[in-house]
Amino acid sequence: MSDTEAAEEKFAVEVRAMSKWYGDFRVLHDINLTVKDGERIVICGPSGSGKSTLIRCLNHLETFQQGYVSVNGHELNEGMKNVEAVRRDVGMVFQSFNLFPNLTVLDNCVLAQRKALKRSKLEAREIAMNYLERVKIPEQSDKYPTQLSGGQQQRVAIARALCMEPKIMLFDEPTSALDPEMVNEVLDTMIGLADTGMTMLCVTHEMGFAREVADRVIFMDGGVIVEENKPDEFFDNPQHNRTKTFLGQIL
Amino acid sequence: MFEFRFYEIWRSPEYVDAILNGCLTSFTLTLIGGITGFIMGLTLAIIQLPQNPAIIRLASVSYVEFIRNTPFIVQLFFVAFGLPLLLDYQWSFTTSALLAMTLNFSAYFAEVIRAGMNGVKTGQYEAAASLSLTRWQSLQYVILPQALANVLPSISSQFIFLFLTTGLISEIGVEELTWSGRFVADRTFRDFEVFIVLTVLYMLMVYIYLGGFQLIKRWAFPWWSDRR
Ligand SMILES: Nc1ncnc2c1ncn2[C@@H]1O[C@H](COP(=O)(O)OP(=O)(O)OP(=O)(O)O)[C@@H](O)[C@H]1O
Ligand SMILES: [Mg+2]
Repeated sequence: MSDTEAAEEKFAVEVRAMSKWYGDFRVLHDINLTVKDGERIVICGPSGSGKSTLIRCLNHLETFQQGYVSVNGHELNEGMKNVEAVRRDVGMVFQSFNLFPNLTVLDNCVLAQRKALKRSKLEAREIAMNYLERVKIPEQSDKYPTQLSGGQQQRVAIARALCMEPKIMLFDEPTSALDPEMVNEVLDTMIGLADTGMTMLCVTHEMGFAREVADRVIFMDGGVIVEENKPDEFFDNPQHNRTKTFLGQIL
Repeated sequence: MFEFRFYEIWRSPEYVDAILNGCLTSFTLTLIGGITGFIMGLTLAIIQLPQNPAIIRLASVSYVEFIRNTPFIVQLFFVAFGLPLLLDYQWSFTTSALLAMTLNFSAYFAEVIRAGMNGVKTGQYEAAASLSLTRWQSLQYVILPQALANVLPSISSQFIFLFLTTGLISEIGVEELTWSGRFVADRTFRDFEVFIVLTVLYMLMVYIYLGGFQLIKRWAFPWWSDRR
């Protein structure tokens, strides 16, 4: 990519011809994906298609072997130093919440602010309470995660990520582990976040959410991006047979 | 029929003193050895983490294997008689006992703690990493507290087991409870009674330790619930 092009458009995420292998198995095949600041992307596809692997490459939880990836201006590569600097700009929410059971809700939100961002205790607590209010559970701040419902835990996980004030948020099936009655509280939180203009990449099969907030929906299968379109087009007029089959299964 | 004559032991203050002192010595030496052994075991376990250079990991693994596959009595004699010769420096038998216990306990604790760290879900490492905590920070604030909470029951039973082997340090003349028992039995010829008294006292100390572990659990891991 030339300098002039780079100057023209600054991407939050830029993935070019990226491939990843597990041993001999090619999980990701020649992936190209660019995401602009403030864009909301929904990624869907059948199990094992590489959705998680793709977004986990963006904060270096996974490494890739071929291609170019840059996140918020940082180029990522296999043996890179200073991964922490990249991760500071990228928040992640996991399917299984992954709250720290040994810390209270408040301390879950405070820990990385103190240790990674070196914020003062007072400031970190204030920011944490701020985001806990945003996800509507400030009153639970002194509890331990295991004392909360799944939906509440996931909202804490979102608040915890937001406390780092990331530029980009990654969601890996954030509602898949939840009881049905708790899905909406988490989706509402995510919609609220989208309204603030956050750049978001969400792996999810919640198609209502995709229609409401996504700028683009990406369909993956077998480690390849098969199709990519605006939500309405994507759902009402899928181009590929594999997309049609998939949508037929989940809708 | 055999007639129990416990008064043969009680009637002499010398014997009572010996037994009480023995208790105290056994209890405190094991406690100190347990603490130093735990610290060393924790260090050995951390050294074995995959992010460390292969050579020091191998050293730690070899040490743990070596200790766990040789008899404590041999380690004790080495520390008490071999090491002073090698280093040309003589220390007290109590010091030898403490050193041997530390070296021995640490290997067993390292093994337990390592298993505890393996038991922490990968999601915890990933969440910590995604929050841009460094490996060391993750270990310190997220992984270790959970690992130690996971293995506290194993640590406590391992500790009790090791406590019950400390009678061996009487072999180098440390006047702990087993030594006191022999001392009294040799003079009163009431071996069976002495044996019973020792059993009760060892059990009593075990319960004191177990109570201590309960306190540690409540104080260090208030977040722990038995729900899992
Ligand atoms: N550590 C690993 N080693 C080997 N293969 C792996 C590993 N992790 C994932 N895979 C394989 O890579 C492929 C893609 O996995 P990935 O988790 O990215 O899929 P996914 O689209 O997120 O699926 P799901 O909807 O089930 O979460 C799968 O075939 C999986 O078996
Ligand atoms: Mg997945």
